[in-house]
Amino acid sequence: MYSAGSYLTGNTLLHRLDPRVKLLATVALSIIILTAQPLFLLIIFLGLLLTAFSAGIRPLLLLKAVKPLRYFIALIFLTHVFFNGSSVAGEFNFFWFSLSGLQTATKVTGQFICLIMAAVILTMTASPSQLVVALKYFLYPLRFLRVPVDDIAVMIILALRLTPLLVAENKRIEVASQARCYNLGKSGYRTRIKAFIARAAALLLGVLGRADHLAAAMEARRYQRGERTSAVELRFAGYDFIVLLFLFCFFVISMALNSSLR
Amino acid sequence: MIAFTDVYYQYEPEGITALHDVSLEIAEGEHLALIGPNGCGKTTLLQHINALLLPGQGTVTIDGMDTGAEANHGAIRSRVGMVFQNPENQIVGMTVAEDTAFGPENLCLPPAEIRERVARALEKTGIADLASRNVETLSGGEKRLVAIAGVLAMRPRYIAFDEPTAFLDPAAARRILEVIDKLYGEGIGIIHVTHNMAEAALASRVVVLNRGHISLAGTPEEIFSRIDILKEIGLQLPPAAELMLMLKETGLAVRTDIVRMEDAVCEIHSLFNKIKKG
Repeated sequence: MYSAGSYLTGNTLLHRLDPRVKLLATVALSIIILTAQPLFLLIIFLGLLLTAFSAGIRPLLLLKAVKPLRYFIALIFLTHVFFNGSSVAGEFNFFWFSLSGLQTATKVTGQFICLIMAAVILTMTASPSQLVVALKYFLYPLRFLRVPVDDIAVMIILALRLTPLLVAENKRIEVASQARCYNLGKSGYRTRIKAFIARAAALLLGVLGRADHLAAAMEARRYQRGERTSAVELRFAGYDFIVLLFLFCFFVISMALNSSLR
Repeated sequence: MIAFTDVYYQYEPEGITALHDVSLEIAEGEHLALIGPNGCGKTTLLQHINALLLPGQGTVTIDGMDTGAEANHGAIRSRVGMVFQNPENQIVGMTVAEDTAFGPENLCLPPAEIRERVARALEKTGIADLASRNVETLSGGEKRLVAIAGVLAMRPRYIAFDEPTAFLDPAAARRILEVIDKLYGEGIGIIHVTHNMAEAALASRVVVLNRGHISLAGTPEEIFSRIDILKEIGLQLPPAAELMLMLKETGLAVRTDIVRMEDAVCEIHSLFNKIKKG
């Protein structure tokens, strides 16, 4: 079962782009997003949708990748609405909210959604191996400080591999519970919290078992800490330079535009 | 050659003896089937071959290298590949090609050689067209083939398969068996743990394990003629052997030392010819 957010096979321009350029673009875009004004943020949002579409990522799939963070997004929005503003514009039970709070909440939530979208487009168009090789390239100087760059790279590969497995495992436990007539329905919060803890424990035990098996399988394929090579060879093509140049210009213009809009 | 000499293994802290005085030799290029009831020690024995488990007593040597010496583990794991029962627990990479490259990357091979090995391994397993596919989107059978390709890319001399066709539909199981047969044909030693007696009948030698002991060892024809012992252990006969026995019981003069379905078909065909002529 494919989980939204993980690598989506394709041969689009974005897929073929050097992973170092993609990684740099995501970092640059994140800086632009965090400093963007609302109107510019909307343009970035539409630009991200267009980029995703050009890479063969349907908007629904992008939405699915953002979905797991919906409660967190809602929390960010509500926190800013009720606790970040000056003049009172309305009341909701005991809470009051302001127009400036509502504005900030919209902006911050928009920034957060755009950040997730940028990261998801990156992980959906660059395979973990490509990402890791690109990351290793940028982390290379840390080797001289005895930072275990290769071990960090394998940890990232495993984290990217295990995340969708965790989601699938959680779904399996949920379905298995429902098959045995487990339905929280209108249960109270206490029951729900207990159920959550029970599921988290089952999930953790399953993951520990799986990690154990995976470690044995990795050992069987001669994995050991330290240096490894990679099948991925980084090569800068002509369009990588063009994209990098475009990225640089976009970054400079965006920063200038943002400061003039402020 | 893989050699087990008086091997004992006990799981701690439960104190369950999984292997008890096991002595066994597996020649290079041999296809050995390991059968036995659940919990008889098949997987434990298999993990000794790859030095994932070390014997409590006795020795296990792979081409003369003792698994007890940690310095040999790298060379042993290059010679003996291991295909685990659940491919989900074996696949590390996100795409088929990435996972196949994991082993050669650990061997620190140059990128061009890694890609060449990956291409050859995917070609041998018949999944070259899946190279760039995300492993999450594959079927159970395809995931098994990815696991086999990952091992093949290490260019091993022996491959240990732990129930490679478990939970697969007949078509996917047949595909896996065809790949195993092809590898055996290329001279790779196969150690095949199975609960499927028809699969065991395809091997050149069968070893029956029961409660950590080797109960029987011999050719499939020799093993499946020991019906009483097999029944006592709780094992069945291959469908072809069952069929021949049933035909014999009905009074037909058929051979009962047949264990493979194609041999059974030949036997029945020649019987019909005799009846026609007679």
